[in-house]
Amino acid sequence: MSKSINLTLKVWRQKNSKTKGQFETYAANGIDTDCSFLEMLDVVNERLTVEGKDPIAFDHDCREGICGMCGAVVNGQAHGPQRKTTLCQLHMRQFSDGDTIVIEPYRSRALPVLKDLAVDRSAFDRIIQSGGYVSVKTGQAPDAHAILVGKEYADLAMDAAQCIGCAACVASCPNASAMLFVSAKISHLALLPQGNPERETRVQEMVAQMDKEGFGNCSNEYECEAACPKGISVSNIARMNREFLSASRKK
Amino acid sequence: MAGYLSSSIGRKQIVAVTGLFLTLFLIMHLSGNFLIYKGPDAYNAYAEFLEHLGTIKILARVGLIVFFLTHITFTALLVIDNRKARGAQGYAVSNSVGKRSLATRLMPYTGTLVLAYLLFHLCDYTLADHESVRSLVNGQNLGLYGLVYNSFKNPLRVAFYVLGMIGIGLHLVHAVQSIVQTFGFNHPRYTPLVKKISFVVGVGVAVGFASIPFYMHFCTMSACSLGGY
Repeated sequence: MSKSINLTLKVWRQKNSKTKGQFETYAANGIDTDCSFLEMLDVVNERLTVEGKDPIAFDHDCREGICGMCGAVVNGQAHGPQRKTTLCQLHMRQFSDGDTIVIEPYRSRALPVLKDLAVDRSAFDRIIQSGGYVSVKTGQAPDAHAILVGKEYADLAMDAAQCIGCAACVASCPNASAMLFVSAKISHLALLPQGNPERETRVQEMVAQMDKEGFGNCSNEYECEAACPKGISVSNIARMNREFLSASRKK
Repeated sequence: MAGYLSSSIGRKQIVAVTGLFLTLFLIMHLSGNFLIYKGPDAYNAYAEFLEHLGTIKILARVGLIVFFLTHITFTALLVIDNRKARGAQGYAVSNSVGKRSLATRLMPYTGTLVLAYLLFHLCDYTLADHESVRSLVNGQNLGLYGLVYNSFKNPLRVAFYVLGMIGIGLHLVHAVQSIVQTFGFNHPRYTPLVKKISFVVGVGVAVGFASIPFYMHFCTMSACSLGGY
């Protein structure tokens, strides 16, 4: 049964990456509990637009929890209070009438705020460009079972490949480290025969780029794993540590 | 090698490997210290044995200093990086998702506490004169044992030593499992076991060491010495 609730929002407003931002308080009355969190923001934005005010900018795209575009820190937790859920799939029934909700952008030196809740995640793109791919010869598509992959490796690789690159790991890490993201990308390629030939250069290039972007270091606090909407395991970080050590040893 | 030492993962692994050696040293140190329960003769003989190891002693001391300094330097580099990484504007509200334990949260602080404790402890016993008037118990010079016995009659020293041991215990509870993860071992079946071992090592080392000041504070010479003093 849907019902309607009244909320108070404290939202981070920032004109652009150059200016300093501040919190603004908005009343969000009569919000349907069947709304998703982003739909709730849409409703608030429509009202702001009617009042002639600047609507709240936030990242979003598929709104199905698969693209990795949305995300904000809601009451101190990346993607809000529900586990394994992106912000777009978080529904307002998770909140109660009269709640105050604090909404902040992801905070990281490497992911600067563009406007309000929208952050620039091109640091992630540059990490992928540095080695998060498989060099493939052009030609006909190979047969589906030309290269055999063990079931256990396929499972682990697909688990790692679930990463949607939303950066909730960076947002929730006390050190703003991107190691869960980077390790998921390294793992999903290193575990498959197609990614195997480049595994050593890949881990070195990607870790170097990650460091260059200004992300923090992992101190094994495992907040990222708990905040990840896709449940990416910190065992991937262990695998990355191992890959990095063995690649450095041979160099 | 330079690339490894300046990379985030390389630095973590340096901290982990030095930490591993320091943990092993602590366990050795603790097992030696337990000789205090056998009485002055056994304890002083052990201290004497360590004092006269010659080259091994020098190597061990230099090694420990190098491991300590490396552990602290690389940790400092990592902590400085980590503080900067959040950016100028931090979170107004920050709620743990629930995986962060107290021991984990306090790592840099327990580390600093252990360093302060260590400097005091070195001046207190390791570098102190073991045959001074501070070693006299009932008119008899009991060497290092007497020094330990007398100094722990002061409740403030007992409190400080216990605080130091709480620091090191908390540090190890996080550290041991962290070393394993940093070197790339994580397994659905064995990682929970590693975390339990980490907890046991931390609590065991803390309780083991802290038992000595308590024992020395509360025992009387006739009760604690089995050697007939």
